[in-house]
Amino acid sequence: MASQSLNAPLETPGFDRIIDALGRALKSYTVRVFVQAILTIWAVATLTFLLVREMPGNPIDVLIEQILTQEGISYQEAYDRVAASFNFDPDASLLDLYFDWLGDLLRFDLGTSITSPGTEVIDEIARFLPWTVFAVGMGLLISFVLGIVLGMTMAYYRDSFLDHSLSFLSSFMTGVPNYIWGLLIIIVLGIQFNLFNVGELRGTYDIRLVPGLNAEFLLSVCKHAALPIATYVIATLGGWMLNMKSSTMGVLNEDYVNVAEARGLKDKRIITSYVGRNASLPLFTQLTIAVGFVLGSGVVIEEIFVYWGIGHYLFQAITVRDYTSMQGVFLILTMAVVFSNLFADLTYGMLDPRVRISGER
Amino acid sequence: MSPMLPPDVVLKVDNLSVVYRTDRGDVKATANVSFELRNGEAMALIGESGSGKTTISLALIRKLPRNAVIKSGRILYQRNQKVQDVLELNSRQLREFRWNECAMVFQGAQNAFNPVLKIRRQFEDTAQSHGWTDKSAVRKRALSLLQLVRLDPERVYDAYPHELSGGMKQRTLLALGVLLSPQIVILDEPTTALDILTQRAIIDVLNDMQRQLNFSIIFISHDLSLAAEMADHVATVYAGEIVELGGVNDIFYRSLHPYTQGLLTSVPTLEHTQDMLQSIPGSPPNLITPPNGCKFHPRCGFADDVCMEDSPPLTADIGGHLAACWHKDRLIESRKTRV
Repeated sequence: MASQSLNAPLETPGFDRIIDALGRALKSYTVRVFVQAILTIWAVATLTFLLVREMPGNPIDVLIEQILTQEGISYQEAYDRVAASFNFDPDASLLDLYFDWLGDLLRFDLGTSITSPGTEVIDEIARFLPWTVFAVGMGLLISFVLGIVLGMTMAYYRDSFLDHSLSFLSSFMTGVPNYIWGLLIIIVLGIQFNLFNVGELRGTYDIRLVPGLNAEFLLSVCKHAALPIATYVIATLGGWMLNMKSSTMGVLNEDYVNVAEARGLKDKRIITSYVGRNASLPLFTQLTIAVGFVLGSGVVIEEIFVYWGIGHYLFQAITVRDYTSMQGVFLILTMAVVFSNLFADLTYGMLDPRVRISGER
Repeated sequence: MSPMLPPDVVLKVDNLSVVYRTDRGDVKATANVSFELRNGEAMALIGESGSGKTTISLALIRKLPRNAVIKSGRILYQRNQKVQDVLELNSRQLREFRWNECAMVFQGAQNAFNPVLKIRRQFEDTAQSHGWTDKSAVRKRALSLLQLVRLDPERVYDAYPHELSGGMKQRTLLALGVLLSPQIVILDEPTTALDILTQRAIIDVLNDMQRQLNFSIIFISHDLSLAAEMADHVATVYAGEIVELGGVNDIFYRSLHPYTQGLLTSVPTLEHTQDMLQSIPGSPPNLITPPNGCKFHPRCGFADDVCMEDSPPLTADIGGHLAACWHKDRLIESRKTRV
């Protein structure tokens, strides 16, 4: 009797139930991809935490260098001055810093800037990010829609002169890197042909205007964003066109398109609901990948056009080795990519009923 | 002005010739094909793969591939004593003609439905494109048709295509085919790719539908038993030509063309033993440069000099049984000695 009761499992009904519930939750697709997304973000954030600190130079060195060259005082004096004004201890243990940072992160606190103490990184990001979202979003939207229309046109008129010239154009547009397009726009259109004043288009809007919902301000916003948007469009349009063309050609050979024509459906209906709808499906997945790619490469584009978005902010942070700001921006960019993929994953079923997740077993 | 047709003829194909332009020359897929289809009648086109059966049926709704050219012929269609030539319809008239007058159930219905739209939407699209906008009326008609093809109407109507099995899709396509009450339904191999029980169900459904809705059927198959069961008239197609045309019993029991005869003896039957099966020697001719004379002569056991020189005309026997052969008599003789 005694030995039996010893071998009996401990009764922990509450604990069992929690494990059970967790297990069931993890079986749900939505929960699973969400947990995956969080883990991805954590891994990338940890990597950036380490990598930014592995970059040659640190915030203090950068500033000491500046003071030394400007004022000609001794190294020790410069060091003391900089260290006093900075919220940074170069000798702190990396592990301590990491756990501090992680703890703050869990409370959605991105910390304060190292080079300008007192400035909350999250406030700076909130100030710069919307401009980037606007420019990148508009750029992608325009090129996506345009690419779908032109790609379908190419497929419908395949092997015509129009198809060949558009094919050449799209290969060319994709082949040239986006920062070259940016420079070309400034040099050729802005300076050579003087179509616009490059200097006036710096920043995100005319600083003499007061931000608000008035036509003048909105027009200025669009004008300042126009060149980065144009660059994003040119650099990504070719890819959409070529993808859409091949996708459409595939769909045009499908039985259901043939049957739709035999059913005497109106051309407009066939082009939109039968060909376009099906041919654009694979492009939606690519769109989320493009969001990450364009956001990342936007750093250079924003610098070229002096467009004050998140890329511009990141560039400044890198120059002075402002670790907390860099971490913050990288975290936001990572989150944007991961969550746009997650969004695509969860919403793809709305576009394609065949992959709709119907309450798993 | 418009040609006259007997009142019970819904379709008259006259001298239809279609070629496919290819790099190696013109493929004469269909040559001088003529036939009539009467109201409520089922006609089967039988023949080997590549004989031009599908080309004939695609030409009827002018759904031929891009490289096809209709060299000659008329396709006269009659409804309510009004006759029109399908080949002379403009693109808007053609669009309205399709499905409204003549629906085609394609070979392999597995991909006939747009995968991202519900069956309901595809019925509504079809109706709407032909000017029928009352969705509840469409729904009512669609549900009764789905019932007729022995499906669970409510469930199928609101399903996506991938939620249906192959046989269900085929039956749904049949229901969609008669949605607009066409006079003609073309069935291109309606039962291939389906298992034997599903084939049986489709045939029963088709017979039911035809009895209730009274449309004419053009039926393309290389399955002779299916043709025997479904058709009132049978046309044997060889190398793009109709070589024999007659009532189903004439064709199956009193065939007057060696090719039809060959097709029949190459199919196992209940009474005959396996060693009585005979295949037709050789293979279908190259349609870019078809043989002179009778196109079947290189493969025909009855062929002589006449067959190599002159193409036999499609001539009528008693009871309107047409066959294009110089040696019908010898064929009949040989059958007597065999049995």
